Amino acid sequence: MSETVLKTENLSKTYTMGKREIHALSDLNLQVKKGEFVAIMGPSGSGKTTLLNVLGCLDKPTSGKMILDQVDVAKLPEKELFKIRRNKVGFVFQTFNLLPYLNAVENVELPMENTKKSKSERKERARKLLELVGLAGREEHRPQRLSAGEQQRVAIARAVANDPAIILADEPTGNLDTDSKYEIVRLLANLNIDQGTTVVVVTHDSHVASHTERMLLLKDGRIIKEKQGLHLAKKKLMCPYCGGRIQPSDERCPSCRKRL
Amino acid sequence: MVIVALGFSMAIMISIPAGIVANQLSAQGLAENFNNTITNMQAEINKTSTLIECRTSSGRGMFSGGRPTGMPGGSEQEVFLNETAVDEIRSIDGVKDVVPLLETSSNETTSETINGPGGRSFTISRPLYTITGVCLNSSFIDNYSILPTNITAGRNLREGDSGVLLMSSNLTYYFAVGVGGKVEINDESYTVVGIYEQAGQGLFETRTVYMNISDAQTATGNTGNVSMLDVYAKDTSDVDGIAEVIQVAYSELQVTTYKDRLSSVQNMQTTYNETITNAQSTLSQTQTIATQEIVIVVVATSLIVLFVMLYTVRERTKEIGTLKAIGFSNWNVMSQFMLEGMLMSLVAGVVGIAIGSVGAPLLSGLLLPSINPFGSSGRFQGTFPAANSGILGVGAATAVPDPQLMLLALGAAVLLGALGSLYPAWRASRTRPAEAMRYE
Repeated sequence: MSETVLKTENLSKTYTMGKREIHALSDLNLQVKKGEFVAIMGPSGSGKTTLLNVLGCLDKPTSGKMILDQVDVAKLPEKELFKIRRNKVGFVFQTFNLLPYLNAVENVELPMENTKKSKSERKERARKLLELVGLAGREEHRPQRLSAGEQQRVAIARAVANDPAIILADEPTGNLDTDSKYEIVRLLANLNIDQGTTVVVVTHDSHVASHTERMLLLKDGRIIKEKQGLHLAKKKLMCPYCGGRIQPSDERCPSCRKRL
Repeated sequence: MVIVALGFSMAIMISIPAGIVANQLSAQGLAENFNNTITNMQAEINKTSTLIECRTSSGRGMFSGGRPTGMPGGSEQEVFLNETAVDEIRSIDGVKDVVPLLETSSNETTSETINGPGGRSFTISRPLYTITGVCLNSSFIDNYSILPTNITAGRNLREGDSGVLLMSSNLTYYFAVGVGGKVEINDESYTVVGIYEQAGQGLFETRTVYMNISDAQTATGNTGNVSMLDVYAKDTSDVDGIAEVIQVAYSELQVTTYKDRLSSVQNMQTTYNETITNAQSTLSQTQTIATQEIVIVVVATSLIVLFVMLYTVRERTKEIGTLKAIGFSNWNVMSQFMLEGMLMSLVAGVVGIAIGSVGAPLLSGLLLPSINPFGSSGRFQGTFPAANSGILGVGAATAVPDPQLMLLALGAAVLLGALGSLYPAWRASRTRPAEAMRYE
């Protein structure tokens, strides 16, 4: 079995609101292996966002242990944490969070700033990544001139810019129309297959979740259920519906015509 | 908006020191001008210890050598004395010579606009020129300074001259003639034989035509009249006695002696000293006000930057959260916002310098009291409400910021930008990266 990228042990996060304590996460145990494509599902208030914040080192757990790419990050101070965020985590937001006054390339270059890469190296890599997400020729466009789906592609390119150990996506399809939604899911799936990128998606869209290889159901800050998704079959280039042979680039299964 | 507001602050910052410099220059010029005038007068007076000046009209006794006339207020009804007085006074014991002179104003008058600082100006009306008839006796010309000496063209008047005149250089412009040209005065034609340089400036500028006294009498319809008698005593010790006798015999004459003139100049000097003191106290007051204003502007500018940047940071919480989420350190974020604040101030500084260079005189005029050389009790106060350095021949002082000051202001702008952004930038750097998830 391949190595573990992310592992939590009895992870808890408690918010204090006045005198009331809210246990957003309680003794959560989670393990994500390298190259996995995982979905975390759950109803509102189940602790999805809190979990993602903690996993992405945006927030610190109240207690418990969290190992990210062999580093115990739960106790790291802020002046170390930003390096983890920069080098080991790629974030994809529901609302894309691109900087409006920077064009696509500049947005993708952003995480590479303050790294050892030279200006030209950064630019070159940003262009390559935009090509990878299917935005060749739109590099100079500002976010407002891109569609929602395109903006999310730019955001995904930005997320993988520093070759992170894991990509954390928070409702990546929440603000997208159906067509764009499929495109983004397929893009993440292809990244996972082609580049071996580890992806964790938080969503309450069951369709999106079903296209991952493992679905975790979160409730009251705990994982209560685990299910296999369709992605596993796709990894073997099999249609998850009819078992026919498919290519990663196929939008629909060539034999049963079902949308992949 | 913000840039313009800041720009104005910066403009004020560069205008105020410029205004101070202008005021200083103005005060300096004032002092120099006073000193020169008084020195010249004293030198002139010292040459004439035996001279008793007798004049028919009042108010002109202050000046001896240059005889500036046509000052505002000097246009009152002219009074003349019959020529017979000359012989009578000559017969007084101890009198050596009596030089009769006829001094009258031309019929033509002229309006002059004199500019004061701050764009204020006022108009005075005075006779176009003064006609001075001199008794052209060669012993008088040789012994007494009755004619101007600084001839720039042609020759001076001499005994026996008739139908000719000597005029001050500034009149060539009015008459449009040079040496050898003809000038008409009351339908009589005179040839210009010489031109002399007159040195007064502003109000002290004089325009005079010198001619034989008999010519002057004919030209001005004053046959047999004189307006001034320069009485010379044989000895300095006789001066007071002679002056008393003349005063008693001719009550219409205003008699001044060496002592009177000296004390008159001394009075003047006292007044001038007061004036300079006034100017200096205004100057120090100005500097105090300027310092206060600069402090206010500095504080205001920093506050503007502070609030603008705070607002910006608040508005962009999500963006800052995103930057932190994708791996920007606190320092990266802080320096970014510091840079932004400084850049904003730099642009504002440039705008401010643009406004300041154009509006410096106006702004400093608005913000600083201008120098009033005559104080509140000065003798000229009533006559010239707008009395200012310009009137005394010192060019109107204008506040022009110099390039060094501009550079300094630009530096100050950037510094204030940095100062004002310090707290907002720190706030930005403390933004929790999880904020990237919130707000929409």
